[in-house]
Amino acid sequence: MAEGSPTKQPERPEYIRIKFDLPRPYNWSTGRYLGKLYAEAKENKKLVANRCPKCKEIKVHAPTPVCPKCKVDMGWDWVELPQTGTVFQYTYQVYPLFDPHLGRTFADPHPPAIILLDNGVFLRHRLEETDTKKLREGMRVQAVWEEDYEKRGQGFQDILYFRTIEE
Amino acid sequence: MAGRVAIVGVGQTHHTTRRNDVNMAEMVGEAVRAALADAQLSIKDIEAFIFSNMEAFEGVLLPDHGMVAEVGAVGKPGLKVTGGGTTGSEAVGEGCHMISAGLYDITMVVSWQKHDCGDATAGISAAAVPTFAKGMVTGAVSEFAKQALSYMKESGAKEEHAAMVRLKADRGACRNPYSHLKLGLGSIDEVLQSPYLVWPIRLYDFCPQSCGACVIILASEKRAKKIHKKPVWVADFVVVHQEPFRAGSFGDPTGTETYSQHVACERLYKRNGITNVRKQVDLAEIYEPSTWEEMSLYEHFYFCEKNEGWKLIEKGVTDIEGDFPVNCSGGVIASNPIGATPVIRIAEAALQIRGDAGEHQATRDIKTAIATALGGPNWTAMFLLKRSL
Repeated sequence: MAEGSPTKQPERPEYIRIKFDLPRPYNWSTGRYLGKLYAEAKENKKLVANRCPKCKEIKVHAPTPVCPKCKVDMGWDWVELPQTGTVFQYTYQVYPLFDPHLGRTFADPHPPAIILLDNGVFLRHRLEETDTKKLREGMRVQAVWEEDYEKRGQGFQDILYFRTIEE
Repeated sequence: MAGRVAIVGVGQTHHTTRRNDVNMAEMVGEAVRAALADAQLSIKDIEAFIFSNMEAFEGVLLPDHGMVAEVGAVGKPGLKVTGGGTTGSEAVGEGCHMISAGLYDITMVVSWQKHDCGDATAGISAAAVPTFAKGMVTGAVSEFAKQALSYMKESGAKEEHAAMVRLKADRGACRNPYSHLKLGLGSIDEVLQSPYLVWPIRLYDFCPQSCGACVIILASEKRAKKIHKKPVWVADFVVVHQEPFRAGSFGDPTGTETYSQHVACERLYKRNGITNVRKQVDLAEIYEPSTWEEMSLYEHFYFCEKNEGWKLIEKGVTDIEGDFPVNCSGGVIASNPIGATPVIRIAEAALQIRGDAGEHQATRDIKTAIATALGGPNWTAMFLLKRSL
């Protein structure tokens, strides 16, 4: 092959392609720290995070045994996060993307947003409001939980979305 | 680095949406042959292999196992790197480490992604730390949409500037025989007519999912000069990790986080006496998943002052003909076989230093170049390449 020349697309029929779409069930362990977040969400509809003993930063994405910044053992200091906040930044899908969890495209997706919770912690989640004309930064929002106990147990997904509230 | 390392051979396939004519191993084999031809080496000369691929994206576990025969790696040592967007840079880094440590004289970095087998967005969304990232990550597009919104707000850049980045990339891509998207765009308006994917990212603002492979052959100082008449020296490289899935994965909408780019630059520039990047470095090949991110990265790599990245685009400073060309190849928004993408950055920068880039060769003489990679939750890798040490 000469230097600098591209490989040519050969003109020949496509080879056989095999489609593989069997469901592959996996079981992931949440672990001690993330497990605490999962348990509080499922059992008590609470959103919790852990706090570094040194820098006091609250880790919600996700709770870890070691502070990423200080590199010290986090210990077991938990904080319950407020479930209200303001929309810090949002975006929205225009062209529906494929959702691998559902195996279909989003027809009417909830806008992904960064929410500044009332204690100053930033949370990644999504908004209930799908009318993009009604979205604005600074909007007050509140968490809406999955009410069915059996369906909870999905960690952050136990909160369905954040709903616009009037105050 | 203790022992000096040079790039003595590069080879790549053309990058495209589908390669139904070959399987993964056959596609990779094309790039291996091209790199061996460039280095004028035989596969028997290669002492160790480093494989670079994001395996979740094709749904294949241990894809390297399925291609050792085609690659010529049977009976030889090797390792595989799977590290998100920076995979390729880390693989080239490992190839350098092996030589620098005195283990081998010649190593080969084999990188690829065959996106027609699977879906990268599915891989990112489903497989990225499923217990806490599931449903929190809608692929890369909405993450870069957040980055774009922050950049727009802070810097004053307009959608027209993002369009100019695509026009610049497209001019390079149309001259590059290997690149994937050759759109032949003529005006800002044409770019602005492309539909939004996730506000404010348009179809033409974002990188494609490509099939393609890229191979780099590295050699020790002792062997490099005998192998290639124009070896390109790896002067230095850094890799900086970042915390997973913070509020803003790319960019920092919250104003509270450390940029991995800044940490990487601080180390690389300080170690190499670089105080003015645009004066001391001649060219950059950067990993820009979106047009907006390219402008932002200019600032974070200190090519310019804060909030002035879009001005470099406006003035044409980073064009092929400009004072400081960036991504003459068309960059990531033109071709993106993820496991190979950072390796292509390094290979293209090396070709520019050799003067062998062909039609997309920069106008000015390139003696020193930077090649970067970005990935995961904003990890940064940076390579500094030189014609002579």
